[in-house]
Amino acid sequence: MKITTREINDILIVDIEGEIRRSDITDLTLHQWIKQQLERGKRKILLNFEKVEFIDSFGVGEILASYISTNNLGGKLKLVRISRKLYLIFQVTMLTRVLEIFDDEQVALESFFKE
Amino acid sequence: MSQNKTYSLLSRLVDIRPEEVTPSLLMFFYFFLIQVSAYIIEPVKISLYLRWLTADRLPYAYLLSALLIGLAVALNSELLQRTRRAYYLAFSLLFFISTLILFWFLFRIHWPWLSLIYWFWSDLFMVTTTTQFWIMVNDLYHPHQARRLIGFLVSGGLLGGVSGALLASRLARHLGTENLLLICPVLLLFCLVIIFFYSRLPGKEEKQSAPSGARSTPLTTWREIRSSRYLSLLAAIVAMGMIITTLVDFQFVSVVGSRFAEQDARTSFLGSFLTVLLVFSYLLHVTMTTRILRQSGLRLALLIAPVFLLLGSLAIFFVPAIYMIYWAVIIKGTDKSLSYSLNQSVRELLYVPVSPEIKYRAKVFIDMFVSKFAKGFSSIILLVSFTLLHFSLKQISLVTIAFILLWFMFNLEIAREYVNTVKKNLKIKWQDANLVISENIDLDLTKLVFDTLESKKRSSVLYAMNLMDLLKTEKLSPELKKIISYKADEVLARSMDSMLESGGSFSATDLDRALEQEDLGQDIEQIMSLDVYREVMKGYIDRISADRSSETETSRMEAAKALGLMEPDPAVSRNLKRLLTDDSPDVAKYALESAARLKQREFVPLIIRHLGRASTREEARRTLASYGSRIIGTLKDYLSDKEEDLNLRKAIPDILAQTGTQRAADLLSLELKKQDEDVEAEIIEALHRLRSRNPRIVFQKELILPEVTRQIKQSYWLIIKLNEFKEKKEGWLPFQDLEASLAMHLKRIFELLSLIYPPDEISRAYQNICQGTRKSLDYSIELLDNILPKELSLLLLPIIEDLPLEARAKRCQKLLKQLEKSMLEPGPATGR
Repeated sequence: MKITTREINDILIVDIEGEIRRSDITDLTLHQWIKQQLERGKRKILLNFEKVEFIDSFGVGEILASYISTNNLGGKLKLVRISRKLYLIFQVTMLTRVLEIFDDEQVALESFFKE
Repeated sequence: MSQNKTYSLLSRLVDIRPEEVTPSLLMFFYFFLIQVSAYIIEPVKISLYLRWLTADRLPYAYLLSALLIGLAVALNSELLQRTRRAYYLAFSLLFFISTLILFWFLFRIHWPWLSLIYWFWSDLFMVTTTTQFWIMVNDLYHPHQARRLIGFLVSGGLLGGVSGALLASRLARHLGTENLLLICPVLLLFCLVIIFFYSRLPGKEEKQSAPSGARSTPLTTWREIRSSRYLSLLAAIVAMGMIITTLVDFQFVSVVGSRFAEQDARTSFLGSFLTVLLVFSYLLHVTMTTRILRQSGLRLALLIAPVFLLLGSLAIFFVPAIYMIYWAVIIKGTDKSLSYSLNQSVRELLYVPVSPEIKYRAKVFIDMFVSKFAKGFSSIILLVSFTLLHFSLKQISLVTIAFILLWFMFNLEIAREYVNTVKKNLKIKWQDANLVISENIDLDLTKLVFDTLESKKRSSVLYAMNLMDLLKTEKLSPELKKIISYKADEVLARSMDSMLESGGSFSATDLDRALEQEDLGQDIEQIMSLDVYREVMKGYIDRISADRSSETETSRMEAAKALGLMEPDPAVSRNLKRLLTDDSPDVAKYALESAARLKQREFVPLIIRHLGRASTREEARRTLASYGSRIIGTLKDYLSDKEEDLNLRKAIPDILAQTGTQRAADLLSLELKKQDEDVEAEIIEALHRLRSRNPRIVFQKELILPEVTRQIKQSYWLIIKLNEFKEKKEGWLPFQDLEASLAMHLKRIFELLSLIYPPDEISRAYQNICQGTRKSLDYSIELLDNILPKELSLLLLPIIEDLPLEARAKRCQKLLKQLEKSMLEPGPATGR
């Protein structure tokens, strides 16, 4: 997993690349990385999955843990351009009713602005 | 006398239907006249033979008769196949009339060996006319009709025999033995007249002995008999009976020959003996035959003759020589009286389950050929033992005893085979409907398919969750997948998020592929078991499940579905309990489905409540059934509680039945005993389902039989009411209600009977009753007679028999009084 970031206004756009899976744990997991950003005062985070090739249940757990951590600090974590398979998983697990998921980055950013 | 008066008179004596009066009277008088002639011919035969050839030469008469009768049988069989029934009967009678006159003439020339020829001729007369009579009976009646009327018809023969023997006894000294023969042609001319009317009777089924183009010879008939175990046994018991009769007859005639030297005195004695014998036989027949057959069944009826003859044969060793005539009279009397009454009826009954194509050929062959062969065989035994080895009459009794023991064994065996053969004649028209449905249709899968299709319209999340469930079952055919995916894009486009509107959509096929290739199902399970997942969802579900507004109905449905997929914890239980009490049936259905997955005991009272709601009853039934046997006690408490909602109580027996356990059967049987009419129908149906699901379950007769009797009593009452209202029959609604109610009670009776008697046979009998044809009804009654205790099948008869309503009502009233008087609870553990 490789992470690069961009920042538009106070929104941190996190571009994730590669695979998020249990067998491929790097020194820093997605949740730990998000926690670092939260510690740095970031409260509006948009995770971009456009270049994520694979994500397993461990990866979903990382996203959910990140969501809780952000939420607990009064922040917002949203998702953009997730794969069809991941969307299907979120549908079946009803996570689409809790997580904010977007197909278009601009629409996602606008949703932050509206808040 | 008008037809109605005759019927009214006859119906007091015999169980007869109005349309059976004319044919039965014709057959009664035909048999009467034939037997009058036969019992004049018989004493003349013995007396003349003893005069000219003596008792020592009796084995020759038996042997010659047996040998020649074979040829006569072949000729008779050929005539039977080639000639129309009425012509065949008329020609036979004309032959006997003319030869009788010829014998009368020839006896005047005093040729000793003529008595041997006459012996053979009289045997031919007896065998041919009697067999022809039974062939006529078989043409006229269905098996159960024959069973009802046999007693009456045989009575005609017995009365004829008495009259003939009495005539011989009274007239022998006045007219002379030979002159008695001239009475017979006159009687046989009357038989010809009866044949004329018989040939014009409507509705008789002239069964040809073989299909066209496949005419049989005695050899092929013999092969057919040998290839059938039942017919072989039938032939064996006829053969054994004939051997024993011949040995006993030899002993009797020998004793009579040595006691009476003068011919006419001997004829007169024989006439008197036969008169007393036949009167005794007649009394035995009218008082005992039907009673034995109805109350004790075929098996006991088959064993009575062997037992009595065994005792009689043993008695010779204790009788002094001067009283030998009394012994001879008693043993001959026992053999003949049983043979004329009980054995005759039993033998005719044994032919009932044989298919018509074989029956006539086999009957002719066995009655004429096998029995005569047995007679020939016994004459050889006599020639060897009496003529060559000079056995005494006592030693011959030892030989008789050996054959009686064999006869006993064959009788036991055929009684067993009889039931199997009757069963084969009954067709199963349908199987248990519930069983067929459960075997051929997966109800859970069907429901899931419908839920999935339905959820398409409501929410993409529900659709995805249902689709996931559906695909996990791995039972979806490609066609079904296509149906489910049909218009999926359109539906999704309407209901999904903006992201999917721009191109993302999925179908069952996509999801299926994803599941197969990437273990999606496993991923989803793992995600839902994550603490973080539950933490994310907790707040949302807490909020949704507490909100009862109509706006959140779909969200509550989703939440209810999702809870069933999660690992159970206090929060899951708390929210599911809330959703189980949701007013929306759609939400409750998903909550019930989830409860069925989690199977927690704390949900049970909430689930049971749904049994009282029409909209969620089915789902609640399914959910409770998924708990299995561990909630049987709880369910039973609700069932017993008369304060509970009746709809709720009515739904419980079926759930208990779905457990398929002995405990459920015991509890339901105990509830049945309480005779709670509110839930009685449901309990009976549930017990029947339990029987279908698990054949190993044992039901207690003492709990089931009282309910059978109660249902029978209620059926009687309905029949009596139907008879009262019969004038208003045409389209009168209460009459139709009563008829429907009677049909329902009949079904319940058979459902209950299937619990304690062989269910397949009970089901066959019921199906054939429902089929409603005369033949199917007859076979059903025949089968029931063989599987139920006598007193129970007698109670059932008025409900199922094809009788006029008035006659049925009369019987019902009579039996109802008997039941109430004796408080009869049928057959305590008397089932076979």
